[in-house]
Amino acid sequence: MAITEPAAPLTHSMGHSMKRKEDPKLIQGRGRYIDDIVLPHMLYLALVHSPYPHAKIVKIDKTAALAMPGVKAVLTADDLAGAGLAWIPTFHGYDKQMVLAVGKVLYQYQEVAGVIATSREAANDAAELVEVEYEPLEPVVNPFDAKEDKTLVREDRENKTNHIYHWEVGKRAETDAALAASDVHMKERLWFQRCHPAPLEPCGAIADMNTASGRLTIYLTSQAPHAHRTVVSLVTGIPEDKIHIISPDIGGGFGNKVPVYPGYVVATVASVVLGVPVKWIETRTENLTTTGFARDYHMDVEIGATKAGKVTALKVTTVADHGAFDAAADPTKYPAGLFGICTGSYDFPIAFTELDAYFTNKAPGGVAYRCSFRVTEASYAIERGMDLLAGRLGMDPAELRMLNFIKKEQFPYPSPLGFVYDSGDYHMTLQKALDRIGYDDLRKEQAQKRERGELMGIGISTFTEVVGAGPSKHFDIMGIKMFDSAEIRIHPTGSGIVRAGTRHQGQGHETTWAQIVAEELGLDPQNIMVEEGDTDTAPYGLGTYASRSTPVAGAAIAMAARRIRDKAKKIAAHVLEAAEADVDWIDYKFQVKGVPGKSVTMKEIAFAAYTNPAPDSEPGLEATYYYDPPNLTFPYGSYIAVVDVDRDTGETKVRRFLAIDDCGTIINPMIVEGQIHGGLTEGFAIAFMQEIAFDSAGNHLNTNFTDYLVPTSLETPHWETGSTVTPSPHHPIGAKGVGESPNVGSPAAFVNAVMDALSPLGIKNIDMPLTREKVWRAIREARA
Amino acid sequence: MNLAWNGQEIIAAPVAEVWAFITDPAKIASCLPDVLESTVHDANNFDAVVQVAVGPVRGKFKFKVALDPQPAANHMNLKISGGGFGSVVDLLAGADIKDDGNATTTLDWNGTATMRGPVATVGGRVLDAQAKRVIETTFANVKTRIGEEAVAGRP
Repeated sequence: MAITEPAAPLTHSMGHSMKRKEDPKLIQGRGRYIDDIVLPHMLYLALVHSPYPHAKIVKIDKTAALAMPGVKAVLTADDLAGAGLAWIPTFHGYDKQMVLAVGKVLYQYQEVAGVIATSREAANDAAELVEVEYEPLEPVVNPFDAKEDKTLVREDRENKTNHIYHWEVGKRAETDAALAASDVHMKERLWFQRCHPAPLEPCGAIADMNTASGRLTIYLTSQAPHAHRTVVSLVTGIPEDKIHIISPDIGGGFGNKVPVYPGYVVATVASVVLGVPVKWIETRTENLTTTGFARDYHMDVEIGATKAGKVTALKVTTVADHGAFDAAADPTKYPAGLFGICTGSYDFPIAFTELDAYFTNKAPGGVAYRCSFRVTEASYAIERGMDLLAGRLGMDPAELRMLNFIKKEQFPYPSPLGFVYDSGDYHMTLQKALDRIGYDDLRKEQAQKRERGELMGIGISTFTEVVGAGPSKHFDIMGIKMFDSAEIRIHPTGSGIVRAGTRHQGQGHETTWAQIVAEELGLDPQNIMVEEGDTDTAPYGLGTYASRSTPVAGAAIAMAARRIRDKAKKIAAHVLEAAEADVDWIDYKFQVKGVPGKSVTMKEIAFAAYTNPAPDSEPGLEATYYYDPPNLTFPYGSYIAVVDVDRDTGETKVRRFLAIDDCGTIINPMIVEGQIHGGLTEGFAIAFMQEIAFDSAGNHLNTNFTDYLVPTSLETPHWETGSTVTPSPHHPIGAKGVGESPNVGSPAAFVNAVMDALSPLGIKNIDMPLTREKVWRAIREARA
Repeated sequence: MNLAWNGQEIIAAPVAEVWAFITDPAKIASCLPDVLESTVHDANNFDAVVQVAVGPVRGKFKFKVALDPQPAANHMNLKISGGGFGSVVDLLAGADIKDDGNATTTLDWNGTATMRGPVATVGGRVLDAQAKRVIETTFANVKTRIGEEAVAGRP
């Protein structure tokens, strides 16, 4: 029997602003986040933290805590050592990190002990009763002090130094020579401050060891469930088939939920030992003080140029503060991530960049906070650098950029630091932004205001990102290649399910993955279910971070769908009683060449696959694809911020902000716009509000949302958005990824705008965050 | 976070009485503000549980207090260490007493404090004012209590 009803109209395939399929459950409060999960006999874990940034542990007394009603166990590093889990490898495997403090604490709020009790309240109360005697040590609070090696952060390491590694790429001697020979040599130190992804849902885990089956199930706030399963197996010795990771709904990740944290490990050990589920849910303070921070790069940026403004060389020298462990979330072969993208959108004939990383008495991290492995730092360096160069040359920053952009005919463009950019038309995108915002009129208005003493600024950022890690010949994490995967099953009635190795945290995969399948197969995206986050069912993948989902998993989905289409073509030929070579895929259906009336839809083929399969093929309609990208993708954008600065209070008002993004082929314009709104808001917060700061004694000064500010709708500016489209030539659907572009590109636009406003006062640079106090002080000092 | 203060009290009592008071741990314990309970261990050491309210950091802090009298110099050192809720406070205070004649004694005091943990995240000016209040109140209480004892002891 064949299904003869016409296929549903394809009103929501790729390129359409289909409403997010995941939203109804979330906005009705029917999402299932980790703290919603309650298992029978479940215990609760609370962690004991160090008040000292650097101290020897003299004694830990558990007596009073163990005596408290409801307390089942108190674990310290000694207990974990018995299981071989006192230390675990860091993200890329070059270092190891303590789970609970071993012998001494290396940063304030470091985890020292874990208390497991029958209720969360009992665990928290008992944690207060764990008495830890410390012998304070001098803390190392910044990487420049760390360079001196007067106090050693890590005695456990073979090399008795705070220096972790040196990394460089490019041609040092030639770059130095070119800078020396340049008409103009701009040099400025820029600091991208330590900040934090601060997802609204903090991290958490429920470890559930089934002593009967020997199977360990871990519900985990994980952006990379399969990678976490492998890590758990490697560090515990539990066979991977006995480990089941379930990543439920996630309330934001932004890179914060990629690493493995002590709470996960202690909950797992406790569950294995006690044979019951153990839940650990992080507090806001724990999230801000102990889990992966971002940025903290001190960058000396040097650009050489001719008098006419043509750039001749770029050099960036960076000192990185990694905290107490080298736990930066970077691919194994890229200790400084993809910082080599610091040449940006510009055609530098030569470049060199180097970086030295240091241990300090701060929490470890260096996660890819809504950016592809240090790309935000690189983008900030070059985009601030170009504005500083424009100031030195007395040129308009837009004109300087237009003069130095890589031209569209130069793509694929080999950069002097080793990347091959896939595609772009930077001139077109910036021109669109300039025209739309009325750049010339804004400059005229600015000139008039300056005559009246008013401080108005216009800031441009024309960034290029590098995302989609990555090609297996270069990219791995602890040896696991950074491919991604998809499995598609089309059911007999023409609906289907997609499973992917990624795990969305708000990106909209349930919608966009369905749209890709719908586009490739001519099916209704409303009837394509998307499932991620369960390692028992999804094919192996490296997860969602660093803007890699659409460039890698999105490609895997398209390719898996094409495998299905290939098989469907055989079935179509069988159903249409035609030779396979005589069947074409036209207008979302198979049609006999030259006979438009003789056609069959994918929905009809799906039914035939189970009821009338082709004689020379297997029944069913399924496919799996592991996609190993041939190259990275290079989304880019032109952002323009317009600000007014109050010279008496230092307050900055972002009057306008225009973001023109080019992320290649757009799957769902509404979701892209939503991603850009979110990322711009984060960039705004970084530029004006956020810093994880420490005092000279190593005290963490931003331990909650009263001190680490998250903008509300009241502070957030109105965002204007737009797009250009230059598809990636090597991606199956031409998509490049967009989720991180606004966070990557916007901080420089904001800061450039404020510095432009302050330029009549001779102010060249203020490091972020540009709080009104810092701006006010700078204005006051400039006036003095 | 490191903080430092100093001050002076003029006490209407002779040096010997003042010295006897400030070297008595029970009497010093009674002068600390917001003390909920205290336990004297020996002539130089006592524990105190203090109600603390500094911004969002509120609760009972436990402190160990050590007296270090240096009679030859008419000088007393006071070391207060402890904390709670993940915070640690180390406070060092010094007091010099000087006979002004006419049964009057000048007590010059100074103090430094180191704060760690959540208490250190409270804004500097708030913390400075709160910690200064603690040490000022302590020495003001010393003056008051000695005065009260002098009145009570009169025939």
